[in-house]
Amino acid sequence: MPDDRFAFFDPDKSNAAGLSAREAVEPAGVRAMSVSALLAGVKRALADAYPARVTVVGEISNFKFHSSGHMYFRLKNANSAIDVAMFKSRAAKLKFTPADGIKVIIAGRVDVYEVRGQLQLYADRMTPCGQGALELAFRQLCDKLRSEGLFDPAARKAIPKFPRAIGIVTSLTGAAIRDIRRTLRRRWPAAKAYVLGSLVQGQGAAGEIARSVTLIDANARAYDIDVIIVARGGGSLEDLQAFNEEVVARAIYQARTPVICGVGHETDITVADMVADVRAATPTAAAELAVPDADQVRRYIDDLGARMTRQVRDNISAAKSSLTGLGRSAVFRDPMAVVRTRIQQIDELSLRARGVLGETIAGAREALGGPANRLAALHPARLATGARARLQQLQHALAWTLGRRAKSTGDRLAESAGRLKASCPRHRIALAFQQVDAAARQLESMSHRAVLGRGFSLTRDSDGRILRSTARTYPGQTITTELSDGKVVSVVGPTGVRRKKKPPPGEGAKLFD
Amino acid sequence: MAQKKMSFEQALERIEEIVSDIEDGSVPLEESIDKYAEGIKLIEHCRTVLGDAEKKIQLLTKAHDRDQKLDPAGQLPEDDLEDDE
Repeated sequence: MPDDRFAFFDPDKSNAAGLSAREAVEPAGVRAMSVSALLAGVKRALADAYPARVTVVGEISNFKFHSSGHMYFRLKNANSAIDVAMFKSRAAKLKFTPADGIKVIIAGRVDVYEVRGQLQLYADRMTPCGQGALELAFRQLCDKLRSEGLFDPAARKAIPKFPRAIGIVTSLTGAAIRDIRRTLRRRWPAAKAYVLGSLVQGQGAAGEIARSVTLIDANARAYDIDVIIVARGGGSLEDLQAFNEEVVARAIYQARTPVICGVGHETDITVADMVADVRAATPTAAAELAVPDADQVRRYIDDLGARMTRQVRDNISAAKSSLTGLGRSAVFRDPMAVVRTRIQQIDELSLRARGVLGETIAGAREALGGPANRLAALHPARLATGARARLQQLQHALAWTLGRRAKSTGDRLAESAGRLKASCPRHRIALAFQQVDAAARQLESMSHRAVLGRGFSLTRDSDGRILRSTARTYPGQTITTELSDGKVVSVVGPTGVRRKKKPPPGEGAKLFD
Repeated sequence: MAQKKMSFEQALERIEEIVSDIEDGSVPLEESIDKYAEGIKLIEHCRTVLGDAEKKIQLLTKAHDRDQKLDPAGQLPEDDLEDDE
């Protein structure tokens, strides 16, 4: 720098009276500048040397978060430090909470803060860097999202068993998409697959991944997409950072379609993994979880088919043997056998009935005979008549001898005779005859009249003989048919008589005699 | 029967139902034969779906006209050097 820019103070040449500071200290030809001028000059020089934004890495110390929303701290490394100011508008966009000790990268402008003549770095953007810083940011974001419920297992949606189409968000280059394609083809070629390519690391990747997820979800119905895979192959912690950003987590959470996240390797867990409906260790694993194994399903269906066929075959042959068994039974071989047995039973019963009742009635009659005769002999009427006759004799005799007293005695005797008459056991005989009536009714019920009541009818020819065979009929013949409640007279029609085959002997019904 | 409109999952569930009914023994013989016929048709349908040829992955791209729409954009190119299992 040229020497004449500096002003030297020479006490010998000073003149305190009425001169300006400039003039006072200015030796001949040397100019002194103000502090403002100096700082203005420094600013200009700085702007020339560092016209654009600078990107600086360092560690935060003396961090202060002012109530105004502005952040003030120092960014340092081993031997140097610079003051940093991050204003509210920029600070609000931070994706992590800065604190002392965190190593960061700051993009901003250097300038001089004239008020104190201080060099400042005005931060536009700040991101954590290095393992520790990334992990801190990860933990901070996890805490925040967890408290909002984004990691809640209850919020996870089920993956459909047989998806019609799969939507994929991943890079169009790289191993992930190839692995996914190979796996889908191997396991379930029936499903369609759509991919929306996206950056998966670096600047802007997080935003693009988030937008892609949202877009595929919005178009899911149009393409029958039943599940979305978000995938990225393996990489370092820095490489996977896009999947640790809040915007990606929110896009996955808000998607209505279930999302499977398969990022990195087995041991990598990102925020996207934690929000997703299903976490897969790798892109291949994500594809395996998205679709079933066609071979397995095919074998299952074959098994179902075999079971069904076997069961129906078994049912049919069981039915066949039942049928055969039934066909062999007496009922089908000789159906008339049962009828024959019944007819015989009826015949026997009716014979027995008649016999038994006949005997009973005959027996009852006999039993009643003796007593009846004796009773008849003892008939009070007879006794009474005899007694009355004698009484009358006595009366007359008495009346002759005793006069009126004899008559009243005779009257009293007559009275007794009357009482005797009244107490005869007539009612007991009436009862016996009632019993006989009942027996007769029973007999009647077994007689042909009751059988008629069941719908059988009795047909007689004009001679009154019972018609049992069609052989004794001829067209024009008058026949009388007795039904349960009366008789019907009819004439055999000219179309003649339908003869049945002559039945084998023993089968003719003998219900009536 | 509109089983073509039935999803694969629904068809499979219906087949399981039929097999269960038939194996239960609660279905009369004639009805079980009807169900069997239905079951066979569904099994054939499922086998057809399973037999579908492998498809190429379709590319999607943002539509020009509408903000949220995605348009088909051809197929993902096959990599000849790809390692097939």
